[in-house]
Amino acid sequence: MHELSMAEGILKAVIEKSEDNNATEVIEVVVEIGKMVLINPEQIKFLLDVLSEDTIVKGAIFTIEEIPIEIDCPECEYKGKIDDDELDHYAPVVNCPKCGNKRLHITNGKDCIVKNIIIEQED
Amino acid sequence: MHKIAEIEVQHNIMKANEKIAKRIQESLNSHNVFSVDFVGAIGSGKTTLIEELITDMNGNIAVIAGDVISKFDAGRFKKHGIPVVGLNTGKECHLDAHLVEHVLDDIPLKDIDYLFIENVGNLICPVDFDLGAHMRVVVISVSEGDDTVEKHPLIFQSADLVVINKVDIADAVGADADKMVADAKALNPNVKIIKTSLKHKEGLKEVIFAIEEFLIQ
Ligand SMILES: Nc1nc2c(ncn2[C@@H]2O[C@H](COP(=O)(O)OP(=O)(O)OP(=O)(O)O)[C@@H](O)[C@H]2O)c(=O)[nH]1
Ligand SMILES: [Mg+2]
Ligand SMILES: [Zn+2]
Repeated sequence: MHELSMAEGILKAVIEKSEDNNATEVIEVVVEIGKMVLINPEQIKFLLDVLSEDTIVKGAIFTIEEIPIEIDCPECEYKGKIDDDELDHYAPVVNCPKCGNKRLHITNGKDCIVKNIIIEQED
Repeated sequence: MHKIAEIEVQHNIMKANEKIAKRIQESLNSHNVFSVDFVGAIGSGKTTLIEELITDMNGNIAVIAGDVISKFDAGRFKKHGIPVVGLNTGKECHLDAHLVEHVLDDIPLKDIDYLFIENVGNLICPVDFDLGAHMRVVVISVSEGDDTVEKHPLIFQSADLVVINKVDIADAVGADADKMVADAKALNPNVKIIKTSLKHKEGLKEVIFAIEEFLIQ
């Protein structure tokens, strides 16, 4: 539900990096969003489109890659991926696939990362 | 001539918040201030609880009142004659570390023992944003319905103390407070859960004890 502030954060990082690299146009932006982050990727994409209107990023393709959840179970010591296909964006309930424990250490899937950008540069 | 280039960014939006949260906690620690983030559903009794703590707890307390429009709750805290900073989140659904760090300068850290932060009434978004507080208290009430805990697993897993308030009206709203306790226990087996009726000061002593106990640990 805080898609707006996340989208603003993403855009700010993209604009800074584009300017640092003398971009004349931003063609594509690749963002990785963890499945444990409580935001809806579709809504992020929509907001990025709207917010980038008056910036150098206008018209760029926004590609969202989801980061799968990985856990570390303190009960049975299972480490690794879980089945996260059916998770709800706002209430991801995760269980250990081996022992069912819910108190897990989440080792991956909680980040939102602007991974890279593809730009056109003047040379 | 134009050329196309792929530029690595690797900018982690979540880590930015984490970094500031860490800075906040260091600053609190250097002044020996213990900080509690109160999160919970809208109208569950967060402000009421903090007001009761201000009245009954030993030690000097300051409050950050975060809300979409903060002046209402901030006004209630100010009546107690303590340092209060209102934090308008505007359209945002949660406080983040950046907002808190901004107002930290307005809090007389050297004069206080506790900094209580009232987060925006919301059981989802605050999960993603650590504020640098030492403890998180989740406040819900029976009037949200007794499936509230089940529906918001992450916030209850992130809690250090769960307060289930307004048990005085449980029957009237047809909610089973004990089911809520059991649900919270299932999600977070080690967490302390206290049923309260803050309107009648019931359970308040237990809450104060739980906060002081957590502080010592
Ligand atoms: N019946 C009953 N009402 C209560 C109790 N505790 C608080 N209330 C009432 O619930 C209403 C909301 O309480 P607040 O303390 O303002 O709740 P809040 O969580 O701070 O609300 P927001 O900041 O708007 O999200 C007030 O009218 C309180 O008087 C209780 O134990 N029983
Ligand atoms: Mg309030
Ligand atoms: Zn396990």
